[in-house]
Amino acid sequence: MEIISLENVSKRYRLSRLGARSIREELARVGGRLLGRNGSSDDDDFHALSDISFAVDQGEALGLIGHNGSGKSTVLKLLARITYPTTGSIVVRGSVASLIEVGAGFHPELSGRENIDLYGSIMGMRRAEIRERFDRIVDFAELERFIDTPVKRYSSGMYVRLGFAVAAFINPHVLLVDEVLAVGDASFQAKCMQRIEELRRNGMTVIFVSHDMSAVERLCGRAILLEHGKILADGPAREVVEFYGSRQRGAGSSASE
Amino acid sequence: MLETRIEWSDSLAAHLRELVRYRELLWQITRREIRVRYKQSLLGMIWAVVQPLSLMVVFTVFFSWFARMESEGIPYPLFSYAALLPWSFLASSLTSAVPSLIANSHIITRIYFPREIIPLASVLAALFDFLFAAGAFVLLMVWYGVAPTPRALFIVPLLVVQVAFAAGVSLLLSSFTVLYRDVRHVLPLLLQIWMFVTPILYPASIVPGRWRDAYFALNPMAVIVEGYRSAIILGTAPGAGRLLLAAVESAALLWAGYAYFKHLEKDFADIV
Repeated sequence: MEIISLENVSKRYRLSRLGARSIREELARVGGRLLGRNGSSDDDDFHALSDISFAVDQGEALGLIGHNGSGKSTVLKLLARITYPTTGSIVVRGSVASLIEVGAGFHPELSGRENIDLYGSIMGMRRAEIRERFDRIVDFAELERFIDTPVKRYSSGMYVRLGFAVAAFINPHVLLVDEVLAVGDASFQAKCMQRIEELRRNGMTVIFVSHDMSAVERLCGRAILLEHGKILADGPAREVVEFYGSRQRGAGSSASE
Repeated sequence: MLETRIEWSDSLAAHLRELVRYRELLWQITRREIRVRYKQSLLGMIWAVVQPLSLMVVFTVFFSWFARMESEGIPYPLFSYAALLPWSFLASSLTSAVPSLIANSHIITRIYFPREIIPLASVLAALFDFLFAAGAFVLLMVWYGVAPTPRALFIVPLLVVQVAFAAGVSLLLSSFTVLYRDVRHVLPLLLQIWMFVTPILYPASIVPGRWRDAYFALNPMAVIVEGYRSAIILGTAPGAGRLLLAAVESAALLWAGYAYFKHLEKDFADIV
């Protein structure tokens, strides 16, 4: 069953519209326009994604790869409803949990316990559901001793562990993972990968963004290579990763990141 | 299975249904606001009372004792505290709601949830302070031997209008702040001027009669402040026409503020 589908999706940022402005700048812009200087032109637009279409089936693990700025993270942000497409349509069936920078929803002054409640409810859970999963979350994150400590005293590794544990135990239909696991230590990373794989076998769909090609190959059956907001390749992860590798070698050492 | 089409809807009914689905989060963020505000402060909750109480003392000394300001026969401390309560509620709602979206940009750019929850939580946390500070008002009433009459029940509609009004202004200004940071600089000035044109230090009866209707129509806070005084202390009903007009204005403002907020929300993550 198709759980995610994108059809002809484009995301365009108008560079002059990015960021807040002061009323003074706004007046200057209106003034410039009155004087006949045209404020917005085509060079002003940045196409983060142009006309991409793909669908993901339930239980699939899809890797998104490509250079920085190729549009990978924009795809995740669209699926997470953080930003909206300029044109095209996106349909997602079921609940989505995003791990776009773990711990983003955490509040530094609150304890781990309070943050689990907060994070769970941001992800749309009821209190009873959070309580029910609480012990497993704490156990997975290995934070029993620190659960009543304010998270501002946590190390970055502890932060990641708590964030991943919450997302991994709310059983979403779709899990979006953006490069976050790179922060944790190797044994915790392995544990996360194992948990993701376990959830996937139970029917969860995973969209995984990473620069770590071996992790993509290990976790994902399928991969999509993005470049300048367009799909360059879509197929079995191993082949797409290999294609990406050969393109990078072909582009010479200047393309090395 | 819930099917989500990721496109922006301009249907307010759909947004409201979603807000209801996320009520648990509204409650959580409100609790977070309250807890974080008092967690590391020595006096904790007492701060909610200290603010209106200290202003009341200063006003009483300078305006009542020195300047002999009339207060409709009510002891001046009661007279000013009854007005400072709803005023502090509005001021603290706005002070915390206006920068709230910018302050929470790290969440807004990473996780989806209905964004209006953030400024609305500021209003609810201010309401919590208001109720706490109202406890001190009850003590003042006992001290001055003022007994409430059944008309004191008018505080229920007054409270509803007051919250709707504060929520409307908060939604409007907080979303506008995402576009134009100027609002943050204007807000303290706006609140100061607004406080002086609201009958807190003085009774509304000092406004010349021919302007009084316009005065109340232009400032729903004046209606609310005078309403509390008459309902609780004087034991008379607030002017029905004025209260109704303030209620209609607050409802319209809440609707317009919500519609404007949701209209801008689509681009918050791209701008903030």
